[in-house]
Amino acid sequence: MDWNFVREITPTILEGLSITLSLFLWSVLFSTIGGLILALMRLSGLAPLRWFSAFFGWLFRGIPLLLIMFYVFFALPEFGETWTLPPFRAAVVALSMWAAAYQSEAIRSGIISVDVGQFEAAEALGMSRFHYMRRIVLPQSVRIIVPPFTGNAINLMKQTSLATVITVPEMTLLAQRIISNEFKAVEPLFALAIIFLALTSVLVLAQIGLEHAFRLKT
Amino acid sequence: MNPIVKVSGLEKSFGDLQILNGIDIEVASGEVVAIIGPSGSGKTTVLRCLNLLERPDGGRIEVNGRVVCEEQPNGKVKFASKREIREIREELGMVFQRFNLFPHMTALQNIVEAPKAVKGVSRTDAEAKARELLDSVGLSHRADHYPLQMSGGQQQRVAIARSLAMDPAVMLFDEVTSAVDPELAGEILLVMKRLADEGMTMIVVTHEMGFAADVADRVLFMDHGAVVEQGPAQQVLGQPQHARTKAFLRAVLDRTPMDAVSEPPTDEAGSQPGEAGSQPVDATSPDATDTKVERLETELAQLRGELDVTRRQLEQKRDSRPWG
Repeated sequence: MDWNFVREITPTILEGLSITLSLFLWSVLFSTIGGLILALMRLSGLAPLRWFSAFFGWLFRGIPLLLIMFYVFFALPEFGETWTLPPFRAAVVALSMWAAAYQSEAIRSGIISVDVGQFEAAEALGMSRFHYMRRIVLPQSVRIIVPPFTGNAINLMKQTSLATVITVPEMTLLAQRIISNEFKAVEPLFALAIIFLALTSVLVLAQIGLEHAFRLKT
Repeated sequence: MNPIVKVSGLEKSFGDLQILNGIDIEVASGEVVAIIGPSGSGKTTVLRCLNLLERPDGGRIEVNGRVVCEEQPNGKVKFASKREIREIREELGMVFQRFNLFPHMTALQNIVEAPKAVKGVSRTDAEAKARELLDSVGLSHRADHYPLQMSGGQQQRVAIARSLAMDPAVMLFDEVTSAVDPELAGEILLVMKRLADEGMTMIVVTHEMGFAADVADRVLFMDHGAVVEQGPAQQVLGQPQHARTKAFLRAVLDRTPMDAVSEPPTDEAGSQPGEAGSQPVDATSPDATDTKVERLETELAQLRGELDVTRRQLEQKRDSRPWG
């Protein structure tokens, strides 16, 4: 491996970092909100909400992400102008839907792990469902949610590289360009791998921090 | 008598299993009613129906003049609206067997939460009241402790304070000493006794026969989802009429002598020593030596309990790690 070449191309690849990061951050944001809503729908007393949430999870966990991305970018525009999305937005939509399906299950598992006595105590005190979900149940479930949630987030970080197939100029696309221009694959792929490892390492550290912050005080 | 709690014809089944078989109970304001009975008799379910943690299948419940649920002529039960249910629950403080304190909040936060959220009490007022209540259950020094940092007896006393913070008209106690070490039960019972003395209306589901004899105005014996026998405590516990009541009391008393309960709290340095002390209500009346031996054994158990708590605290300190 040519270390000088690695040093030479790394800045070029890093030009895509901001796009990779914004893909990730927007998708994390939307998939967390969506996942929370889906999880609460799944636990709702209203059957149609439960069905919708279950259907959503079944669909988006059952289809390859690559296919979802193709669908949003290539197939949706056939339904008309309003459904035509630029590459970046299409990628965020696809990643968010896909990740929301997984995050809803992570969040739901956290909620149902909270002792039923907690719900009863809150109800017996006259608290509304909205209040005790927010103040009593969710804070306790966070502790359980953090590990699977960060797992999903790490996955999401890596899967942003798929946006390359719908021409989003994130890091993977830039690395591919170098490969086809320079006819060298080892160095660009090595640099790309290191950058992704660094990014996911940050998430692993974040997980440790979150777990510490939400541990039960004994 | 103008009853504050009125239950009539209460029915509840879980699947094919009929738990409550037409229960009638009336509780007057200021009255302390103990419900005793074998496990599975439905006594806890009665309590949980009052604040609709369980939804009855038949009958009628009225609390403080409000209808909680009522069977319609067509046999269906009509429940109070969501909003009314919340208001009724404010009137009914409930203490659970397993405390159910919120583990992510300190003792003080546990008590303050509901008054702030439900009654809109200001933070300052809620905290002042919470500190008063903590003091009254002998735990002012534990205000900033988290539930898992406290013994079972202390947690349960915080739970009682949490319920009292809502100014309930009636307090429901669901086997509140069953999940704590026996030597810590006394500190909970003492708090309850004091509450009864202050005139609180209480419905107490319990296995503590000594407490029932000592504090309750009336004892109900339940079996197979029905009230088999009821009357003044001394009468039901001392001269039970019904064969099933007799059998139940015999089974319970053979295991736990009645005067082994109602000991003063261990960590409330002699605030009211002996106030709830052993009173001779024991129907089986063991002879003097036995009583002395038992008393000494109770004391020993209590000391062991204190030792245990201290040891556990030390261990917790030693073991507390970031991922703990």
